[in-house]
Amino acid sequence: MDKDEIIIRNYRTSDYEATLEILRQLDKNFHIGLKEDQWKQSSGLRQFKPNLKRITLIAELKSTNEVVGMGMIEAVKNPLGQYIGYLNNWATKQEYIGLQVGKILAKRAIKILRSWGCEAVRIIVAWGFPEKILEVFEETGFKPIQIVLENKFESE
Amino acid sequence: MGDLKKKLEHPCEGLSDIYLMYFDEARGHIPLFIFPEDKFTKLRENRTFMRPIKYHPIWFLTVDEQEALDHVDLEFKGYVFFGKKFLAKSNRIKRRAGMEDDTPETIIIIVSLPNDIEIFGDNFIRLLVERIKEQFSDKLYKLIEYEISKIEVIKTPKIKQIIKEGEKIKKELNDLITKICREYFSSVIQQTDISSIKQQKALSYLALKGIDVSHLISNEGSSTFSNVKLFDPSKRSNESLRLKLPFVISNIEITPNSHELEIIVLNNTDDEKQDLNVKITHVTEFFEKEVMNQHVDLWFPKEELVFISPITPQVNEYLFFIIDQETNRRILSQKIDISTLGKKEEKI
Repeated sequence: MDKDEIIIRNYRTSDYEATLEILRQLDKNFHIGLKEDQWKQSSGLRQFKPNLKRITLIAELKSTNEVVGMGMIEAVKNPLGQYIGYLNNWATKQEYIGLQVGKILAKRAIKILRSWGCEAVRIIVAWGFPEKILEVFEETGFKPIQIVLENKFESE
Repeated sequence: MGDLKKKLEHPCEGLSDIYLMYFDEARGHIPLFIFPEDKFTKLRENRTFMRPIKYHPIWFLTVDEQEALDHVDLEFKGYVFFGKKFLAKSNRIKRRAGMEDDTPETIIIIVSLPNDIEIFGDNFIRLLVERIKEQFSDKLYKLIEYEISKIEVIKTPKIKQIIKEGEKIKKELNDLITKICREYFSSVIQQTDISSIKQQKALSYLALKGIDVSHLISNEGSSTFSNVKLFDPSKRSNESLRLKLPFVISNIEITPNSHELEIIVLNNTDDEKQDLNVKITHVTEFFEKEVMNQHVDLWFPKEELVFISPITPQVNEYLFFIIDQETNRRILSQKIDISTLGKKEEKI
């Protein structure tokens, strides 16, 4: 898919249903821990919080206005005072996977994070993520630097 | 004091008279009700006073003919008389051959407004007719029976019952019209072109009559090239006249787990806003302490942004500001009391 066929824009509350559907698909495949009642209409709006900036980017098909992909970008200030950019919940609608939608979104996201003054961009991927895709990331400059371990608290 | 009491009873006093008439098959154009009510008793038989009412052009049009016009106006001696005709249900024995009991009653509503505020007539008569039809369409024939029964010499128990019922309906009608007048002239005046001379004239007149109009500023604020609009009688103006804020807090909540204050703010304008500072502070022992200060380089038109701030223990009152960085002017200031969240935020 060509970048001219896609509009990359900020999330609007009217995208709520479409993004929820994409997140459901993502959760089904990679168990991202989606709790539907916690993804609210306002969750994807531009967020400003001390030491954090967050935007949800939407990939919209120009011809039909269909939401075909989404991704959250965050700039977080670490204890050393550096801003690090993160790409989270990066997902493309099932039927558009493999059509470069994610790549177009990622390019724009990196541009935005750079303009925010971030020193690096990180992508956190699920354990067991296909190595083939890791290789694709490596080609675009992303190298594995950390392993994140998690111990999930049981809800009381 | 007396004036105030009178004003409360008749909110349209000096602004508007309302006439509810019907076509009597034996006597012609007969007033059923006049608001304010004292005019009904004093002036209903006064030929000079009732002339523009009884000979208003609306009488000579059929309901079908006047539909296309919405209402018919007559200008007479410094007043404009807005007339509207409609048919109402009937179950009254008619006094003319060829008319059945259920032949509908012809009802006319005429609203008179001084020339200076005739601009408000369109919406006012539309609202009046709509509400009267809604609530009294099935009862108006009883009011007609009451008017006819009142002049009967012998008052049989049946007639007495009709009179009793009619008086009750009349009281309800009076209450409804009082309510509509109060609502309409004090707060829901709807008009689009605030800058027009007519509008200014009307507002001045209302102010002179003691109606508070200080808050009336166009709501939409869309700066179009021209204010010329086509008149569509079937379409009412949805634009209410009230202060339009460039930024509006659309939601405030405390996030359940993290105990943070989440404030959603809408750029209510059609313009991009640049270089704004959004600050949240609280005051402790005379000192203002900043809990959040965010720079928004670009805020798109109609875009909502979320501001999340930590909540300081023991502090319930916060001040939210949006400041234009270039001019240092406060565009929005609002006090937020988290102990009353869910209730109304207090404006400062």
